[in-house]
Amino acid sequence: MIHRIPIILRGTTIASLVTLILLPLVLPSASLATEVLIFAIAVLGCNLLLGYTGLLSFGQGIFFGLGAYTASLCLIRLGTGLLSSLGIAVIAGGVVAAAVGSLSIRRRGIYFVMLTLAFSQMAYFVASTSKDITGGENGLLDVPRPPLVFFGMQISSLATGSAFYAFVAVIFIVLYVALRRVIHSPFGSTLLAIRENEERALAVGYNTRYFKIMAFAMSGGITALAGALYAISLHFAPLSNIEFVMSEQIVLMTIIGGTGSLYGSLLGAGFMVVAGEALSAIWPRWMLLLGIILIAIVMFMRGGLWGGVEQVMNRFRSRKPQQGQAPPLEVPND
Amino acid sequence: MSIYLFQILNGVGLGMIYFLLSIGLTIIFGLLNFVNFAHGAFFLLGAYLCAQVHIMTGNFWLSLLLAPLAVGFLAWLVEKLLLHRTYHLPHMYQILVTLGLALIIQESSIIFWGPVGKNVPTPEVLQGAVTLGSFAYPWYRLFVIVLALVVALILWILLEKTKFGALIRAGSENTEMVSLLGVNIFKLFSVTFGLGAVLAGMAGVLVAPLRGAEPFMGTEALGIGFVVVVVGGMGSFVGALVGGILIGIVQSLASSLWPQGANIMIYGAMALVILLRPYGLFGRA
Amino acid sequence: MKKRAFAVCTLALFASFALSVLMTISGGGIAGAAEKKLLFVNTTPLSGAFAEYGKSASMGAQLAVKETSKVLGREVDLVTIDTESNPGKAARKIQEVIEQKNARFFSGACLSSEALAIGKEVNKAGGVFLTPVGADEVTGAECNKSTFRWSVPTHGAIEQTVRPLAKKMPNAKRWYTITPQYVFGDALLSNAKKVFADMGITHVGNSYHSLKETEFSGYLAEAMAAKPDVLLLLNFGNQSSATLRQAMSFGMKNKMTILVAWSSGLDQFRSLGSEITEGVYWGAQYWHTVNNPENKAFVALTKKHFSTNPTYPLAADYIETKLILNAISAANTDDPAKVISRLEGLKYKGLTGDEEIRAFDHQVIKDYYLLLGKKKSGMKDGDDFVDIVSSGKSFVSQKDSACKMK
Repeated sequence: MIHRIPIILRGTTIASLVTLILLPLVLPSASLATEVLIFAIAVLGCNLLLGYTGLLSFGQGIFFGLGAYTASLCLIRLGTGLLSSLGIAVIAGGVVAAAVGSLSIRRRGIYFVMLTLAFSQMAYFVASTSKDITGGENGLLDVPRPPLVFFGMQISSLATGSAFYAFVAVIFIVLYVALRRVIHSPFGSTLLAIRENEERALAVGYNTRYFKIMAFAMSGGITALAGALYAISLHFAPLSNIEFVMSEQIVLMTIIGGTGSLYGSLLGAGFMVVAGEALSAIWPRWMLLLGIILIAIVMFMRGGLWGGVEQVMNRFRSRKPQQGQAPPLEVPND
Repeated sequence: MSIYLFQILNGVGLGMIYFLLSIGLTIIFGLLNFVNFAHGAFFLLGAYLCAQVHIMTGNFWLSLLLAPLAVGFLAWLVEKLLLHRTYHLPHMYQILVTLGLALIIQESSIIFWGPVGKNVPTPEVLQGAVTLGSFAYPWYRLFVIVLALVVALILWILLEKTKFGALIRAGSENTEMVSLLGVNIFKLFSVTFGLGAVLAGMAGVLVAPLRGAEPFMGTEALGIGFVVVVVGGMGSFVGALVGGILIGIVQSLASSLWPQGANIMIYGAMALVILLRPYGLFGRA
Repeated sequence: MKKRAFAVCTLALFASFALSVLMTISGGGIAGAAEKKLLFVNTTPLSGAFAEYGKSASMGAQLAVKETSKVLGREVDLVTIDTESNPGKAARKIQEVIEQKNARFFSGACLSSEALAIGKEVNKAGGVFLTPVGADEVTGAECNKSTFRWSVPTHGAIEQTVRPLAKKMPNAKRWYTITPQYVFGDALLSNAKKVFADMGITHVGNSYHSLKETEFSGYLAEAMAAKPDVLLLLNFGNQSSATLRQAMSFGMKNKMTILVAWSSGLDQFRSLGSEITEGVYWGAQYWHTVNNPENKAFVALTKKHFSTNPTYPLAADYIETKLILNAISAANTDDPAKVISRLEGLKYKGLTGDEEIRAFDHQVIKDYYLLLGKKKSGMKDGDDFVDIVSSGKSFVSQKDSACKMK
């Protein structure tokens, strides 16, 4: 029976669904759970680049901030609806990411990283000086949260924190399934082939440039969606969205959760947001702990939190002793 | 003296500090193929240790001697205990582990010295300024230029004329070859890493009287360091020197020509160089 | 060996994760039990880049609550919300405390963007929020029924520093400005230009710099080239400290008068030290030696509890918290609308003397100070960095105000 259900709807999809239901019950507030999900979406976008294509981009904040500004401006100035504003933000993110990507992928390795970093600094500069558009340092205020209307029918007003959480959760799960679909498609396997060995992928005849730009565009669109949701949830689009720190945070969440694991995105975002929330209150210097965690992850569990979960599950499944750690570059099952 | 000439002089002064800051980064990358995101934190530590020595003894010269050595020792220790295990990993993991290290150093500095900056006064003999037409250029900044030039010269002799330098250069070309020659390559690595940190620490000490020591100066320095290294060419000594001075001048001139953009110009310059000259001005493929 | 390390790491990670979840939950649980208490929220950065500010500010709020003890016969439950120096986090946490704990009374914030976003959220809930941030928009274009502001806006900060200094030095006709390029810096600059025009001062140049800048030598060189009589710094916090340190090394203090229009007061002077503060003019919202009975009592109280002189954030969040708590008592209800009408037009003896809350834009009318740095030998104690040169009240009139409150 169960085999009739497509593979992308089983396994970690079910785990994600369960997590989405548990999250608002376990966490003290729906708005905190919403923040976890929003960053998890951004991490999904980063994972597509880092985990599945092997591109470490320190420019994800560009697309996050862009998405926030675009959706906010649509809602404030044009008065477009919720879904169309989100859609416009996704397109804007995708287009800009394709442009940033097509320049950045001309170089590899550390030069690629530095290019994304340079673009991230420039985006911040543009946003902070275009005061009339972005509100500069004060940010864009009074971002409305319009009701969810589908084919003329109002489904929810989204006024309460839990209603908005449900909305973001639906977006997350749809995106999750869609990404699994992409990853299991020939497109996804080509991305993996590029990550493993770009020369070989080229030699086999793939236009790797095209695939990398596509990955960038998808990643940018997804990250912009996260930014747009963030602005709508806060009623506010601060300049900090587009700062370098945002890019750094998204990358850290991705790696802590586990690169190349979609479910890891949820773990990484959850860990950073919740730990930040709880620890910053009792120990302002909790970033010290984050430093230790980063080192521990590199030294002992390169698969991130998801790698840890997999290890534990494998141990339960087979009594056979496992290798000490998840190999960093193994082809992910997901 | 025209404002532009003065800005160029000022830019050279800045550039020499940038050179000291980035030369370690570039040597470490050249020899070890290691991306060190903790380099800015070594710079930060240099500045804070300078402030600390000053609080305890009131002597800047003592801090100029002690602080870089202390930073170098710490870096050597960290390399021995931790970082050498990550040399074989992809750059992503090196970035991650050194980012973690940088966070630990930065947050510990705040715990020890508080979140508000510390002052370091200019040493007595270097107070005052040279008058150049309508401008005044501080003696201390002139001293920084001269000292950095001396350090650059010593480094150059060390790298070009000694056996140690020959090994580093050979190691940058071919690590296996050097270890086949019976050289303890790991020892070479940790000494080089320590040396890079000493130089970053020294840059931190020299900056302290100009800007004070402040917890977030490491992050910014890291950005500038990478810009210089990438512009000059990863692993190139001349590249770091020319790149440093170039970036200093660009930044300084921009404060006259396009002040609000001075801060972003250096990143623009880096992006241009990477796109037009993939291996920087003096790097090799 | 590796396996063990791995297991320990995994365990540690999950343990810390579980611990944080538990702590977050239990935090909610404790507050739920205290229903009888009056909930008051102080919001300030306890972590991140502005942690030092938040530390002082939260001490101020604590002090006000301790001193007031009971309001409406109920104990005050003071909740401090850490903004993490991040406006996004701040906005989210305020939403949360409004939705979950029904919080209606707020004081604090450090960044203008934080305060603007918090003000909007509090306004939606019909609460009360009193803040000390700088942006003119708070009681200007973005003003609203719920938001009040204690600090003097940019107009007053310039009128009470540039004008008295220009009067004091009638021969200083050439002024140069260094301005951070963003909304707040621009507001200071345009106010300064008005005073320049009014006083017949030549504005010999301005250098804009980015909000991320730390190297000011290039801008200082520009300033030197313009040969000004007065160098007016319109940046603040770490940036004005860095500019001053570098100006010192260029020997500029001997060549021109330096005025920092928007200082952070005692915190900043302590970190700069008297060698740098000496001879520099400073604009400030508050100074602990201001001579009036209310301030003396407050300084004594601060010394008693924290054995330190009050800094600006401590004073600000103290008086804001106290004003709201007193207004609740006076209104004899915790209905925010009634508390707001109590605050509107309120005249009281405050830390800076006679203060008044304007009804139309919710701006507190209070003194702004021009200070002059003392020589080390003239300092009576470690915190006696400055003398008060002058003080006074300057505010935009209702006609010229950008605030159109519905």
